Amino acid sequence: MNYPGKGLVEGLAVTARNFVGSYFYKDRLTTVQYPEERIQTPENSRTFPFLVFDESPDKPRCTACKICEVECPPKCIYIVMDRDDKGKPLQRPKAFDIDISVCMQCQICVEVCPFESIKMDNDYEKSKYGRFNDLVQRLPDLLKSNDYYRQIKPVKAAEVDAKLKAEAEAKAAKKAAAVAAAAAKAAATPPAGSAT
Amino acid sequence: MIDEGLKSELQKQGVFVVSTEWLYNWGRKSSIWPLQFGLACCAIEMIAAAAARYDLARFGAEVFRATPRQADLMIVAGTVTKKMAPQVVRLFNQMPEPKYVIAMGACAISGGPFKDGYNVLKGVDRYIPVDVHIPGCPPRPEALLHAIITLQEKITGQHIDQTRWYDATATTEFPIPVCGEHDLLPAANPEVWQPPKDYRDVTNEESTKKS
Repeated sequence: MNYPGKGLVEGLAVTARNFVGSYFYKDRLTTVQYPEERIQTPENSRTFPFLVFDESPDKPRCTACKICEVECPPKCIYIVMDRDDKGKPLQRPKAFDIDISVCMQCQICVEVCPFESIKMDNDYEKSKYGRFNDLVQRLPDLLKSNDYYRQIKPVKAAEVDAKLKAEAEAKAAKKAAAVAAAAAKAAATPPAGSAT
Repeated sequence: MIDEGLKSELQKQGVFVVSTEWLYNWGRKSSIWPLQFGLACCAIEMIAAAAARYDLARFGAEVFRATPRQADLMIVAGTVTKKMAPQVVRLFNQMPEPKYVIAMGACAISGGPFKDGYNVLKGVDRYIPVDVHIPGCPPRPEALLHAIITLQEKITGQHIDQTRWYDATATTEFPIPVCGEHDLLPAANPEVWQPPKDYRDVTNEESTKKS
């Protein structure tokens, strides 16, 4: 049945249902009182990248390979590799800056990182008065512990931990096998040498 | 000036003593009316922030004015193209003092992913003074609410005798750029746009100092 003003009546009925319902049902109260309460963000939600370290901030997982710097579409990452006095690379960053005023949260740096070092944070409260110094995140601001990563993204962190553990075990097994092979070779060589 | 102890003592008795400045700032910070315009996808987040779940009205900032003459706050939500930039500056000029600007999202702050393009302004702060920057692409509605709270803190900290809008010598009109042959003319307003010389060097030195 159609009559003039049907849409208006239906619309007002929805409003009335929500208004009256809000006195009886909690889920009709849609407003989240933001600074006091927050919406639980899904695990895959992301804001800006940070760097993971395992034991101490002196030893980040990052090896300053600069793959993320090259891959970053808006070019907001800037890395300088640390070197010792003789100029030998130390495989850790001396400077690692992310300009979050340019970062577009695309997660490509995370996907290309071979060392599981750079991960996406989910902290969105980054409003600042200044643009240049306030919005450039430097190495000390970026370094966060693996425990923090486990806390914000439990499922993904468990996957990453398992993967790193398997890799470490495989590496150790390979090393042990190589040592065993070398020992066997050493044991086998003297008779072979004496034969020739 | 009344001392803090006496003030809190009076407050317990039900007498509220405040300074004119506090009242003035309280009034301004509780009714920041934004200008109703959006430029790109960040505007969708701005609309979400004004709708029921996030409810910008709780901060007194829900009245999106469709005219710059009634607005206090310009939320530059989205990519400012070089074609749009003169209009943005013109709207800002038409707003009455005291006026504030929030640059919302990577594009408004710095050009974001389009900063190497030919047609996008590399940050709205080249022409107008920005008070609060919200990084993100786009920022969540909560991030906009956080920026409003940050702006309210800034307003609370201002002093009547030092404000720009009672200073007769201060600039209130910002020159509107013109579309030139290759770029906007002028490319930036030197009064507003004062970047550090080479901020990569600066950041590098500072980060080595820190570490």
